[in-house]
Amino acid sequence: MNISLHPIRKLFEVLSEMFRGRAVEYVSVELRELENVFALVLLGSFVGFPSPPTPIALRLLPYLAKELLVMQRISERLDDMLAEMAGIFEVT
Amino acid sequence: MKVYFFVGKGGVGKTTSAAAFSMLLASRGLRTLIVSLDPAHNLGDVFGIPLGEKPKQIVENLWGIEVDFDRAVQQHLKNLCDRIKDAYAYLRVLNLDRYIDTLRHAPGVEEYAALEKVVEFIKRSKDIDALVFDTPPTGLTVRMLALPFVNEVWLEKLLELRRAILERRKAIAKILKQELVAEIGGEKVKLPTEEEEDPVSKELRKMLNETREVINVLRNPSVTSIGLILNPETLPVLEAKRALETFRKLGLPTKFVIVNKVLRLSGSTPPELEARLEEQRKALEMIENEFRGLRIVYVPLLAREPRGIDALKEYAKHIEDLLEV
Repeated sequence: MNISLHPIRKLFEVLSEMFRGRAVEYVSVELRELENVFALVLLGSFVGFPSPPTPIALRLLPYLAKELLVMQRISERLDDMLAEMAGIFEVT
Repeated sequence: MKVYFFVGKGGVGKTTSAAAFSMLLASRGLRTLIVSLDPAHNLGDVFGIPLGEKPKQIVENLWGIEVDFDRAVQQHLKNLCDRIKDAYAYLRVLNLDRYIDTLRHAPGVEEYAALEKVVEFIKRSKDIDALVFDTPPTGLTVRMLALPFVNEVWLEKLLELRRAILERRKAIAKILKQELVAEIGGEKVKLPTEEEEDPVSKELRKMLNETREVINVLRNPSVTSIGLILNPETLPVLEAKRALETFRKLGLPTKFVIVNKVLRLSGSTPPELEARLEEQRKALEMIENEFRGLRIVYVPLLAREPRGIDALKEYAKHIEDLLEV
């Protein structure tokens, strides 16, 4: 009995994983954009964006390794952004 | 403790009125410390006693300090540089201190240094009943007093943004039933999803609390009193009016106005002074209208510049009413 149910359980697991993946897709994009904004607001002075008073940015600096990577990632993938958005929203 | 700020355009008599007022407070038995934050010091000259960075007794119950503004700015920048060095040990090799002279011209540095000094004095002067600040000319003082409010807005917004990030991280981790991990410098690091475990949120929250502490002191009318010093001329009145508008917007308790150097003549008016007196009349009218609701005191133009303890005592008689504010 157990043996016959195994493929069905497997199918459910795959389906559930698929739905979960689909569910987080939009939240992930939102999260990434929020992280971009956060990095830009804090470290935007590099690109001429108004930044918070220096002591605020400076006190956060030791914890901003991830944000620095985010800034780097944005600049590296700048060209892909539109294509990526089009992919997510299924614009063909 | 009471904190007084004497604010006004350069040359209107801020230092003289602050000095005379501090003597009034001291004469009423209040242990008073007068601090000059004006980069162009003349507090010591007004008292006729050389002052420096360390409190010096002027009369009974009254001590005076002239803050070395350049040193305060250097110290502020040095503190910032030390923080950077703590975070990035390798910068020691670059000798960041060499760039302090350049950094001091960065926007906001002077205001920050001045505010740091004000906060330091408020925190440090526990055994003092009254703290009187003779401030730099209006522009810098207004920006300095506005700084905690600017910081509060930034910190609130950053914290809000950070919360939104953490909420989404939490949602993703919950749906995927796994921890979120990022690769930083080849190392896998778990991404925080709760405010309590996120060092950025914690630091933001800490800064926000510190900023609000300063704001609470500055906004508390039973602690802080701001006084505007002006002359009966159009420009100082307009500048004081703009400062008052800003202080009102920030919720800072502006309580009194000292109209200094009011020309009063006994007998007939010499024809060459008629136009001047007419201008003064208009300015005084403007003062009455613009600063309605504040305690206004008038100090006549004195025959001699009030310098030295005795002259200041004479001057203080004109502003005695301010003890009630």
